Amino acid sequence: MLHLIKYRFIQIVNDRTSMFWSLVWPLLLGTMFFVAFGRLGSNDAIGSADSDWTEIPVGVITVDDSREGDTFAAFLESADEDIIALQSYSTEKEAEKALKEKEISGIYKVQKEPELIVGKSGMNESILSSLLESYNKNYHLMTSIAAKHPEKIATAMEEIANYESYTKENSLGGSSLNPIIHYFFALIAYSCLSGAFLGIKASIDGQANTSPLGARRSITPTHKLTLILVDFFVLVTVHFINVLILCGYLRFILKIDFGSEVGKLLMILFMGSVIGISIGVAFGAVSKLSINGKMGFAVLLTLFPSFLAGLMFGNIQHIIENNLPIVNRINPAAVLSECFYCLGIYTDAAKLSRNLITLGLMSILILAIAFIAVRREQYDSI
Amino acid sequence: MIQIENLVKRYGSLVALDHLNLNIEEGEIFGLLGPNGSGKTTAINCLLALLRYDKGDIRIFGKPMKPNSYDIKKDIGVVMQNVAVFDLMSVYENIDYFCGLYVTNKKKRKLLVEEALEFVGLSDYRKMRPKKLSGGLLRRLNIACGIVHKPKLIIMDEPTVAVDPQSRNKILEGIMELNRQGSTIIYTSHYMEEVEQICSRIAIMDKGRAIATGTTEELKKMIKTGEIILIDAISLTPDELARIQELPHVYDVSYTDHKLKIKLSSGKHNLVRVLEYLQSEDIYFGRVLSELPTLNDVFLEITGKELRD
Repeated sequence: MLHLIKYRFIQIVNDRTSMFWSLVWPLLLGTMFFVAFGRLGSNDAIGSADSDWTEIPVGVITVDDSREGDTFAAFLESADEDIIALQSYSTEKEAEKALKEKEISGIYKVQKEPELIVGKSGMNESILSSLLESYNKNYHLMTSIAAKHPEKIATAMEEIANYESYTKENSLGGSSLNPIIHYFFALIAYSCLSGAFLGIKASIDGQANTSPLGARRSITPTHKLTLILVDFFVLVTVHFINVLILCGYLRFILKIDFGSEVGKLLMILFMGSVIGISIGVAFGAVSKLSINGKMGFAVLLTLFPSFLAGLMFGNIQHIIENNLPIVNRINPAAVLSECFYCLGIYTDAAKLSRNLITLGLMSILILAIAFIAVRREQYDSI
Repeated sequence: MIQIENLVKRYGSLVALDHLNLNIEEGEIFGLLGPNGSGKTTAINCLLALLRYDKGDIRIFGKPMKPNSYDIKKDIGVVMQNVAVFDLMSVYENIDYFCGLYVTNKKKRKLLVEEALEFVGLSDYRKMRPKKLSGGLLRRLNIACGIVHKPKLIIMDEPTVAVDPQSRNKILEGIMELNRQGSTIIYTSHYMEEVEQICSRIAIMDKGRAIATGTTEELKKMIKTGEIILIDAISLTPDELARIQELPHVYDVSYTDHKLKIKLSSGKHNLVRVLEYLQSEDIYFGRVLSELPTLNDVFLEITGKELRD
């Protein structure tokens, strides 16, 4: 077994084309992002709590003098100069003009039922929306408690105050919402998927109907399952190391922060590597394209999901979330990217658990498909 | 040692193997001869349980051959038609890797690899990668990877394709040596000279069927042609050609570009009789050649087409 592992390792590591796409290219992309976005983290890690956070400029117009409107205005003032930077306008027209000229990211309308007007989709707009949503939720909760259990109103107020304190310190209060970090998260997701290049090559070398080498390996007395397991073990190990090299480069050279939960990070990277390798193995075994055709298609196979996860256009994941959220649930690159967000930014344990489960199920499913694709020992044509 | 009975393999409407029957004995060098597309490689792939077939029965060493017949596979060595080695590993590493798929004992493996290197004459190239080897040396590496574990049965599928004559002779000598060492060999080729030179028994394949099986001599006896006489004649009239046609044992006469070709069935003094006739008629002639039929003639007569089409 060690003999097979040793030589499989030599074969995979020496394959320059596959190693370029799965290791060197993501490193180059990371460097290019870093250069393109400027000197982002010479002293402070991107996404770390120590770097500067700019408040989101938002306009406010008072539409009516209702009691509910006053409450909302007070809420906004409490968030002013902390999360948002309020700018009051006397008319809606003036505020809309400022929005069009991109002086502000949105307009809050202070009225009986508060409203938010935004000009486009984006990180700032999402935060403003979340803020309004959070206010509405708490307002309705408090009015409901006041009506049904007035004796518990004090406890509820205390709970909400604690919650606000919590979110302020760990999520919204930090600089972790730097939108540039999104690209790096998508890059790591891309790097995980680029294991497909290694998977395709190994798959071609293992199937009698795709290469003479595959035929030669298939007619030996070594059990096919042993060959498959050796292949998967070496491929996942090599690619996991590739992804770790990229993460090490991003963390220690480019100073990009992924949070402090190393164990969970490693688990996510491992599952990402398994998914990338399995996609490649399955595609390599099933596709009838030539090896160059397969490698070419693999570029699409890895880049497109990563594009949808925000590798080239940071806001795309939000646009998809608003219009077709199912894509974000089934796109492995988007799920991986979301996991990194949960770890490094949201610190949202529930969401992280949900994403980890999704990732785990994806790994098992794609791995199973890959296994079924390569376990054949007899073919209809060679 | 190997029994193939009524083997049928179809690719859609195309019948690649049409009730193929073969029986190969231990110690033979058995040649599968046929033009490209005659079904040789398909037969080999079915034999190795790589290809699913529609009908028939295959037994090796007396046992049915299945994809999971690992006990049978350990005694088989295969030299594929296409070179099947890893470009990114050295000559030694390639042979060692494939040997490791058969032999787990490290010491034994080392000995076997050294013997294989010596056998194919690649000891001096052990550290080189396949891409640096010439076509002939690459073929030898391909052979070494297939025979390194000293199998009882070696299947060689056109191992000399695109090989220079010198390397080809070396490979053919190697095959005969392997046979002398005790291996049974199945050798497929569309080069009749090779098959004639090394094979103890031959099956001629066409359209997925074994149309004739036997030793070279047995195959040649199956056809009408016993001798072919070629004569450079200056000029011949239709009457003279008709009279040559009437000579004993002559069954076919053709005359093109002042070259006379006479096909005769087996018989004594055929050449003497033809020459005597030409002299008696004062027909001038130049160079005279007498040839025994080749496997190509056998193939031509049985199938009506050239072997190398």
